[in-house]
Amino acid sequence: MAQSLVLTLLGGAVLRVSALSDIYVNYVKPGFRLPLVVAGLVILLLGVLGVAKEWRRPYPGKGPGQDGHGHGPWVAWLLCLPVIAIFLISPPPLGSYAAERDQTPPPRPAPVGAYVAIAPGTATAMPVGEFIGRAWGDPNQSLRGRQVRLVGFVVPSKKKGQWYLTRMQLRCCAADAFPLKVAVLGAAAPRADTWVEVTGTWVPTPYDRLPKGTVAPEMKATRVAKVNQPGEPYE
Amino acid sequence: MSDRTTLDWTADPDSPVPPPSWGRRAPEAQVLPWVFAALVGFLLIGNLLLAPHLTAPALRTWSTIFVAICVQAIPFLVLGVALSAAITVFVPPSFWTRALPRRPYAAVPVAGAAGLVLPGCECASVPVASGLMARGVTPSAALAFLLASPAINPVVLVATAVAFPGQPVMVLARFAASLAVAVLAGWAWQWLGRPGWLRIPDRAPVPGESRMSAFLSAMRHDSLHAGGFMVVGALTAATLNVVVPRSWLAAVGDVPVLSVLVLATLAVLLSICSEADAFVAASLSTFSPTAKLAFLVVGPMVDLKLIALQAGTFGRAFAARFVPLTFALAIGVSLLVGWVLL
Repeated sequence: MAQSLVLTLLGGAVLRVSALSDIYVNYVKPGFRLPLVVAGLVILLLGVLGVAKEWRRPYPGKGPGQDGHGHGPWVAWLLCLPVIAIFLISPPPLGSYAAERDQTPPPRPAPVGAYVAIAPGTATAMPVGEFIGRAWGDPNQSLRGRQVRLVGFVVPSKKKGQWYLTRMQLRCCAADAFPLKVAVLGAAAPRADTWVEVTGTWVPTPYDRLPKGTVAPEMKATRVAKVNQPGEPYE
Repeated sequence: MSDRTTLDWTADPDSPVPPPSWGRRAPEAQVLPWVFAALVGFLLIGNLLLAPHLTAPALRTWSTIFVAICVQAIPFLVLGVALSAAITVFVPPSFWTRALPRRPYAAVPVAGAAGLVLPGCECASVPVASGLMARGVTPSAALAFLLASPAINPVVLVATAVAFPGQPVMVLARFAASLAVAVLAGWAWQWLGRPGWLRIPDRAPVPGESRMSAFLSAMRHDSLHAGGFMVVGALTAATLNVVVPRSWLAAVGDVPVLSVLVLATLAVLLSICSEADAFVAASLSTFSPTAKLAFLVVGPMVDLKLIALQAGTFGRAFAARFVPLTFALAIGVSLLVGWVLL
């Protein structure tokens, strides 16, 4: 019976993060909501039916072969751990701690060659990943001289006079997240983990003069504004 | 009064308590709802009071990764467990003896290939394989099924394709290498194995249990079992992710054969369910594709929870021989397939 309660708790926790709130986007991609809701319902149902079955069982209980396993596997107790983590720690999306740890350069995006031209004059909003792709892989250098707006969180840099505007990218879940960083020049660094919108222009760095270890394209900021964390924290 | 009632226990005023079979619950039933209520209350209050203060960056990063692995794996786990319970309960035992060839050496590849259509994670495949043996299937064929089913079933292949977007060759390599290892291990057991090494369990169905009830019990048991071991894997993976500097992994990742051995060992230690291991493999971005393939091939066939399950089901004498055999075959075949395909 205890373990049916574990299942009930787990199902409840899965539904709490997927059906009843948007917390699940901190952990997995947004398209994963439906499978999560279905899985949460199934687990909850299994748990509730199990509790009901054990509840109806008459006193002497534990007959031979009851459930095949009277006590169930001990390892099942570990299923309480994610439930406890979800409620007690309520893990946030990955922030500057994770972004700073990951020193390996992300794979350089393949040159697409099909980026749309950016209108001059107004500042164009774009994902950080697209900015990096245009900065590194666009033979037409469509970013040159154009104003862009990027949203991300602040990661301090070891180098003087710059900090990173960062967005984590997921392939699947937060365990494989890697940071997309753009070095921001010409503006004082806000506190780490603050979400900001930076307006500025790309500082071109030719491929052949890329110093070793430089993985982030640079951008000269004209305006830095604090913003709320976007609904989907990853890219 | 005594002339009106006959069977009701209140008819006898001398009886101090109702008989035990009347209206009483099993002992734990009286305590557990309160424990449960206390736990739910603790979690809800803790969510309000404690969560704002647990802000150490390392702890939060660790917990995000831990919860993310669990959340990502759970739907795959539920799907696999549901299908495996349905197959165990609703497919009649006679089907297997009719479907497999009589000669053992021919039955091994057929049983291995049958893993393609029978989903289930490795925790489920051990009981299924022991059930097959109890119903008269040659042990070596049942073992080939045991190894192949968690590695090459559709759920796992889809999960692998999702985890490695744009790399369909990884799915192909995983399929080919896993099937080859399963068939080779089955043949090796047929050739070298002695009957005394393997304890064939006797699985009698619970009398009087309806099919639906058996299905739900199997599913509950498997999801608790597999889910628990999945948490072990998520704990280890999250801890390694936060504690081990990436530069160490990167340093190992550069050495060709060593990196394969390291990831194969990691697969044994992490014991991640096959429905979720592709996602962990994809996150080990500093390693070569061959090393990741070894991780994917070894994981569903040899890991700590499987060794425990196999030793518990078939006996220690079996596990002591079968586990090293499978591990060596898995590494060899992964190197070969990785060299050819990746």
